[in-house]
Amino acid sequence: MTIFLQSLISGILVGGVYALIGIGLTLIFGVMRIINFAHGDIMMIGMYLTYMLFSMAGIDPFVSVLISFPLMYLLGVFLQKVLINRVLDALPQNQILLTIGMGLIMSNTMMLAFTSDYKILSTTYSSSSISIGGISISQPLTISFLITAVITAGLYWFLVKTNTGQAVRATAQDREAAQLMGINVKRMSGIAFGLGAGLAGTAGALISPTYYIFPQVGSVFTLKAFVITVLGGMGSVVGAAIGGVIVGVSESMGAVYISSGWKDVVVYVIFLLVLLFKPSGLLGKSRM
Amino acid sequence: MKRSLIALAIVGLGLSTAAWSQAVKIGVINSTSGAEAPIGETINNGYILAVEDLKKKGINVELIREDDTGKPQISMSAMEKLATRDNVAGVVGPYTSACANAVSKLAEKYRVPLLVPVASKEDITRQGLKWLFRLSATTDDYAAILLNMALKLGKPKSVAIINENTDFGTSAAKSAKAFAEKNGLKIVAEEAYAKGSPDYRSTLTKIKGQNPDLVFMVSYVADGILLMRQAREVGLQPQAFLGAGAGFGNPAFAKETDISNNVFSSTQWTEEVTWPGAKEFAKRYREKFNKEPVYHSANAYASLMIMGETAAKAGGDREKIRAGLDSGKWNGIMGEVKFQDYDGYNNQNKHPMLVEQIKNGKFETVWPTTFTKNKPIYPFPKWK
Repeated sequence: MTIFLQSLISGILVGGVYALIGIGLTLIFGVMRIINFAHGDIMMIGMYLTYMLFSMAGIDPFVSVLISFPLMYLLGVFLQKVLINRVLDALPQNQILLTIGMGLIMSNTMMLAFTSDYKILSTTYSSSSISIGGISISQPLTISFLITAVITAGLYWFLVKTNTGQAVRATAQDREAAQLMGINVKRMSGIAFGLGAGLAGTAGALISPTYYIFPQVGSVFTLKAFVITVLGGMGSVVGAAIGGVIVGVSESMGAVYISSGWKDVVVYVIFLLVLLFKPSGLLGKSRM
Repeated sequence: MKRSLIALAIVGLGLSTAAWSQAVKIGVINSTSGAEAPIGETINNGYILAVEDLKKKGINVELIREDDTGKPQISMSAMEKLATRDNVAGVVGPYTSACANAVSKLAEKYRVPLLVPVASKEDITRQGLKWLFRLSATTDDYAAILLNMALKLGKPKSVAIINENTDFGTSAAKSAKAFAEKNGLKIVAEEAYAKGSPDYRSTLTKIKGQNPDLVFMVSYVADGILLMRQAREVGLQPQAFLGAGAGFGNPAFAKETDISNNVFSSTQWTEEVTWPGAKEFAKRYREKFNKEPVYHSANAYASLMIMGETAAKAGGDREKIRAGLDSGKWNGIMGEVKFQDYDGYNNQNKHPMLVEQIKNGKFETVWPTTFTKNKPIYPFPKWK
C-alpha cells in the first residue's frame, strides 16, 4: 500500500510539471493551429536561464520564475512575430519544418555556448523530503507542484474572466469570426505563443533543482508535451493538465509494477487506448 | 667554403627531418563533450601527462584527438578516420563500453592496434580479437571487489541491482548477479532503467519495499547524483550503497556531499597503491590541473605510455606494435601490466581492483587491506 501511495504521489508531483509543459503547447495549438515542435527546446532555454541566474546571481530557482517567465514570454512573442506569423496560413508540413528548425537552432546554439556538459543545479533542498506515514514527499517537487497549481489557476482565471483572455479563447474557437468581431487576432497569437513559451520556461525552471540540464534535453519533453496534449484533447487547457498528471502517474506506476525500462511503454499503451476509443482526446471536441 | 655550407645545410635538413619523422602518430578517441564529458576530461588529463613523460623519455608522439561525444556511431567514424586518413600507428580509447565495443571490430578490420584504457564491459575482450588490447579491469572485477568487501564487513543477505540499460550497465549488472548467486546473496530487485528520466522515485520505492541489505548501482555521473538524491528522499536505507565505478568514482559526484558521503565506489587505481610512480603521478596531477586524480586518469596515462613506448620501439609499424603489445610487460603506475589470454578473454590485463569510500566530498581508499589501513564506514549511517 505504501508503495502504491508513494508512486501515486510522486507520479502526481512530476505530472504537475508535465502538465505545465502540455498546457503551453495546447494553448499555442488552440490559437494558431500550429504544433510547436520547438516546445521542449524553449523549455531547455528556460532551464539554462534558471541555471545562470542561480550560479551567477545566486537566485533561487523557484524565485527565478518571476524573472524567467516574463523573459520567456518576450522570447515567445518575438518568435511568433518574426517567424511563426509568416507561416500561419502555410501548409502544415511547412509549419512543422519551421518549428523543428527553430528547435534545432536553439539546442545547437546552447551547445556552442555551454558545451554539451550536463549541468547540475544543487540547492540546499535538492534532495530533502518530508515524510508522512512512511511516504516521503520530495520538497522541491512539492513546491514546484504548488507553483504549477497557482500558475494554472491564474491562467484559467485569465482565459475565463479577463477580456483579453476571452479574446484569446474566441480566436481559438474561430479565428475568422473573432476577427470579424473586431478582435486583433495577430495580437492574440502573439499572446498565446508568449504564454506558451513562458509556461515552458517556467516548467524548465521548476524541474531544474531536481533534474539535470543539457542542450538536447528538449527532445525528451517535446515528445512528452505532444503526448500530453493529444491525450487531453488538442487545444484544451484542462485536458492538458489532466493529461500531464496521467502521464506522470502512469510512468511512475509502470516503473513500480512492471519495470523501469518499460515505463514509457505503459504511457504509450494508455495513449493509444485513449486515441482508439476517443480519437479527439479526453476533453477534446471532434473536429472532423 | 660555399660548398661546405650547402653540405652543412643538407645535413642539417636531413637531421631535422629525421627528428621530425620520429614523431609517432597515435590516435586518441575520447568523450570530451556530451553526457560523459566530466569523465572524458579526467581521461584527457591523463593523456596530457603521458605525452609529457614520453617526451622526457625521448619519444615524440603526435596525438590526434577525436571526440565521440559518447556515441558509438561517432566513435566508429572517428576510428575509420584515424585508421585510414591519419594513418596512425595505434589508437588509445574510446572511453565508454558501448563505444569501445563498437570500435573493437573496426580495429580488427583495419589492422590497427587498439588499446582500451577504461571501458570494462567484459565481452569486449571476449570476441577473440587480435588487434584489441585492454588495460582496464572488467565489470566482473568491479562487482567482485565490492560484493566481496561487503561480505567481509557485514552479513548482508540480499542485494538490489540498479543499472542503466547501456553496454556497461547491463554488463556490470550481469556480473553482480552472477557473483551474488555464487556467494549466496539473494537478489531481491533488478532494475534496468533508461537514463535521462527525471523521476526514479517509484523504482527506488519499490526497491525500498524489498529492504535489501546492499544496493549495487551502475550509472554515469548525472544519473548517479539523481539516483542518490532520490534514494535519500524515499529513505532507502541499506547496509551499503555500492557504486560500480564510472559516475560514482567522479569528483563531480563526490562534491555533492549531502548524498555522496559514505557511498562506496570500486576503482582501478588510487593514490595509495604501492605501484611505482603512483604517488608522483598524483602529485603532478594535482599541481597541473588543480583537481583530484582519479582512476580514469591513471588508466589513460598508463595506456598511452604503453602505446607510445611500444609504437616508438616498433618504428610505427602496426604489425610490430601488435606483436610488441602481445608479448610485452610493463610496470608503472597501474602496477604490472601484461596482456594475457585467460577465462575466455584475449589480450586482457589482469588488474587488481580497490574500493574507495567518499568521506566529506573526498575519496578515501578503504579496501583491500593490502593497500590501505583506512577503515571503511559500514553499515551506511542513517540518512539525516
